Amino acid sequence: MAEHDHGSHLTEVELRVRALESLLVEKDLVDPKALDILIDTYEHKIGPRNGAQVVARAWTDPEYRQRLLDDATAAIAEFGFTGRQGEHMVVVENSPMVHNVVVCTLCSCYPWTVLGLPPVWYKSAPYRSRVVIDPRGVLEEFGLALPEEVEIRVWDSTAELRYLVLPRRPADTDGWSESDLARLVTRDSMIGVGLALTPDELTRQEAAS
Amino acid sequence: MNGAHDLGGMHGFGPIEREAREPVFHQEWERRCFAITLAMGAYGAWNLDMTRFARETMPPGEYLTTSYYEHWLHGLQRQLIEHGFVTLEEIEERVDALRREMGHAQT
Amino acid sequence: MPKLEADRVLHVLLKGSSARPGVPAVPRFAPGDRVRTLNIHPYGHTRLPRYARGKLGVVYWDHGVFVFPDTHAHREGAKPQHCYSVRFTAEELWGPDGSPNSMVYINLWDDHLEPA
Repeated sequence: MAEHDHGSHLTEVELRVRALESLLVEKDLVDPKALDILIDTYEHKIGPRNGAQVVARAWTDPEYRQRLLDDATAAIAEFGFTGRQGEHMVVVENSPMVHNVVVCTLCSCYPWTVLGLPPVWYKSAPYRSRVVIDPRGVLEEFGLALPEEVEIRVWDSTAELRYLVLPRRPADTDGWSESDLARLVTRDSMIGVGLALTPDELTRQEAAS
Repeated sequence: MNGAHDLGGMHGFGPIEREAREPVFHQEWERRCFAITLAMGAYGAWNLDMTRFARETMPPGEYLTTSYYEHWLHGLQRQLIEHGFVTLEEIEERVDALRREMGHAQT
Repeated sequence: MPKLEADRVLHVLLKGSSARPGVPAVPRFAPGDRVRTLNIHPYGHTRLPRYARGKLGVVYWDHGVFVFPDTHAHREGAKPQHCYSVRFTAEELWGPDGSPNSMVYINLWDDHLEPA
């Protein structure tokens, strides 16, 4: 029995990760400071606010929107959002008759440069298994009921192409600045499991938080 | 391979559970596992396709009942050993040593 | 290659890692072509999901030349070839009870496809 109980019993998984890290540091194969920067970058620096800026610009600048549709990687790079898991970007645009939604059924491929790391639900079996076979049901589960006349396009990210949905600009936003418009753009709307917020929804959401 | 990861169209997984204001990482070990995986990938000893396959080799029962970063851990350990960065013996020895040092582990 | 140092992390992340081999390849298909996916069940890595094997689709988009993961994962070569978005109807994939007015677009390579 260990007398020096530090107040936590580590699980096997925690032990194994610690074991690997300590071995790799000892062998001078990893730099602990590099690990900290990797973690900090994805925990605090890169996230859906990046994609929201891209969307807001596309809503306000028709030439940017066209560049985004023609060569998403280059257009997104104009913001400096480049690199890992965003090397080959594709933007798919929602319209009155077409709604796009993105998945990676085989693993968890996701456009890190514009959305950060994916949420647990995106990487989990329920979403990955169901959205390709029952997209309407999945969208309803997310609160989005689309009429049958709207074509649903599910993009399964089986290659290194990473998909960003360009949601429709909500009504009653004429004259809004890009930064205000970006506040309407949710992560869910850029994956395709939701729509951008309406001005009323934004007001309610910000009042609640 | 026709592994458990190939999930498109499977039935029976239940509702899509979402966490409000979900953190990027839920546990410290997830952070470390994530960062070590990326750092070791920088050597160019393996490519991303090899990394995906390493994760796919989890036995189906394990894949379906473990969390996302546990899949990463499986793949990472396998690749580190396969490419000679560490041996399985070294890992198990270190796990045992840490277990003794830090108190009994829960399984 | 040396170990990844702290001061190189951001540079490495922002640079990423291209999956384009930078060599040309002749595409076997063009947008609009009807194709059938191969009925293959490799023990190794493949990005052709089981739900889409032996299915009829239409090439929607040619994304250009990429490394082929199915071989690249096993050091069998990059095998540069065109990668497409292939469009499948829900009915083709899932039968008559498939989701109405729904399409699935899957990124597939030349080696996954045959003319239909």
